[in-house]
Amino acid sequence: MSEIIDAPSIDRIDIWNRDDMEPRIREILDRTVRDRAKGPYAAKTDSEVIAMLEDYFARTEGLEAIGISDVSRMAGGASKEQFAFTLRHREDAAGERLVLRMDPLEAISQTCRGREAQVHVAFADILPVASVRSIDADGEIMGQPAIILGFVNGVTEPSEGTGHGVSGIGTRYDDWADKLAPQFIDALAQVHRFDWRSADLSYYAAPEAGTRQAAIWQVNWWSQVWWDGVVQPVAMVTYAERWLREHAPVCDAPVMCHSDLRLGNFMFEEPSGKFTAVLDWELAHIGDFHEDIAWAIQRLFGTWTDDGTFLVCGLIARDEFLRAYEAASGNRIDPVKLRYYEVLNAYKCAVIDLGQAMRAATQSNNHQDIILTWLGSAGAVFLEQLVMLIREA
Amino acid sequence: MLPNIDLRIANMIKALEQVVLPALPRDQRLARDQAMLVAGHLRMMGEQWKSALRYEQVALDDLQGLARHLLPDAPALLADDLKAALSMAQACDRVSVTAIERANIDLGHAVDAVILGGKDHAPLPPESIDALLNYALRHARRERSWFKANRLDPDQHDLPDLETMLAEAD
Repeated sequence: MSEIIDAPSIDRIDIWNRDDMEPRIREILDRTVRDRAKGPYAAKTDSEVIAMLEDYFARTEGLEAIGISDVSRMAGGASKEQFAFTLRHREDAAGERLVLRMDPLEAISQTCRGREAQVHVAFADILPVASVRSIDADGEIMGQPAIILGFVNGVTEPSEGTGHGVSGIGTRYDDWADKLAPQFIDALAQVHRFDWRSADLSYYAAPEAGTRQAAIWQVNWWSQVWWDGVVQPVAMVTYAERWLREHAPVCDAPVMCHSDLRLGNFMFEEPSGKFTAVLDWELAHIGDFHEDIAWAIQRLFGTWTDDGTFLVCGLIARDEFLRAYEAASGNRIDPVKLRYYEVLNAYKCAVIDLGQAMRAATQSNNHQDIILTWLGSAGAVFLEQLVMLIREA
Repeated sequence: MLPNIDLRIANMIKALEQVVLPALPRDQRLARDQAMLVAGHLRMMGEQWKSALRYEQVALDDLQGLARHLLPDAPALLADDLKAALSMAQACDRVSVTAIERANIDLGHAVDAVILGGKDHAPLPPESIDALLNYALRHARRERSWFKANRLDPDQHDLPDLETMLAEAD
């Protein structure tokens, strides 16, 4: 380590300055700590959701004779409370099918509905994404932060599939993979080619190109989550933070990163296999494209074929995936940077599973604490990955 | 005790799987998912509970070993805290899961402070890094084996059962 510390400065970034973070992320993390004591949180009932929505549309849009019907809680994810519902009112008797996605008091990841709305709007003409109907970024009207999206038809795993799991983990796409893999790679390439400078992304900030700031912002984000919520210290998590600071690479050209594009986070229609939505943009930020590639190739998000080949996100062999991504995006993958972001992502997952999820469940601040503790029990997978990745780096 | 804990856990799983789950409408996915997870947790706890004390003892002993490795090269102020936490850990009530968990947390914080190297982020010597990574690998393997039954681990088939894992740790 000492040769890293004593090396001449690469840039003006202070790798130990924990305050160097996107301002909106700082606000969300501070809000999390401030609100943590307000729990416990109980899952919303259908009648509570109806009352919240009627009040919301009356106040925000002045709608009259509002009727909220066909409320249906949506499963999936380990983060937000989600309900499909139909909105009718005096000017629209036919009704509109929508999705309410709102923050419980505390979730497996604490994010911003305003950022989510902006990135959905930004990609509306580029990728299949749900339309944004309304946004209450800080919960000033709804009582808790929320976004209301257009309903999208489709499935996240084959209806007749052979493997299913929590949050999509373990999904087997089998014969669907040939149809889904090219769309998955294209989606990643489109996200990374996006011209974020010309979009309305006021909730976002961009790290300085040609510096280590992109990496350090991520380390500061997730280490803050860890230290704000740690239930039980884990030596490897602490050492990984140190390693990530001391080995942060320069990002030459920051791009938009989805940050959670993997199996379970895209929808498609059957039988065509055509993508109908790229989901879960809540972790999106401007950073290094290697971060998304490293995220997609994680072992936990993959599956194995019967002959023992590892499939990235259950779709495509690793080498083939990397080649296809380079061809589609025009980006050249740097193996050293890819390895760094594999470490960062394993760290992030360890923080999410062993830190934030355990804190939220310990405080009883989520509507599905039991899923958080189930996912937490997989956290050690990432600890072993951290050891292996750092030893090989 | 009668009824014993194994029997009660088995009863709860049976009730969930044979009565509660079939009675839940298929469109109530969240309720169904959570009921299945309750059964999964119970099944896992049924395998774990008799070994919980032993598991916590092994975990604390291993962390103490790491702390002793880190101690000689730790900055003076941090070394004092680490020594104190080590003493507390050695003196804790070893037949109480709660006491061992507490000792693990307190010692863990003192270890963390050394890893971060204080305000100046003092360098970690290579020997300390080796000891830390060796410990971290044992810790991760132990935890992965402990929670193997969640079936989320992509390499679950390579992991030993609980009894073998604990016997190896001893």
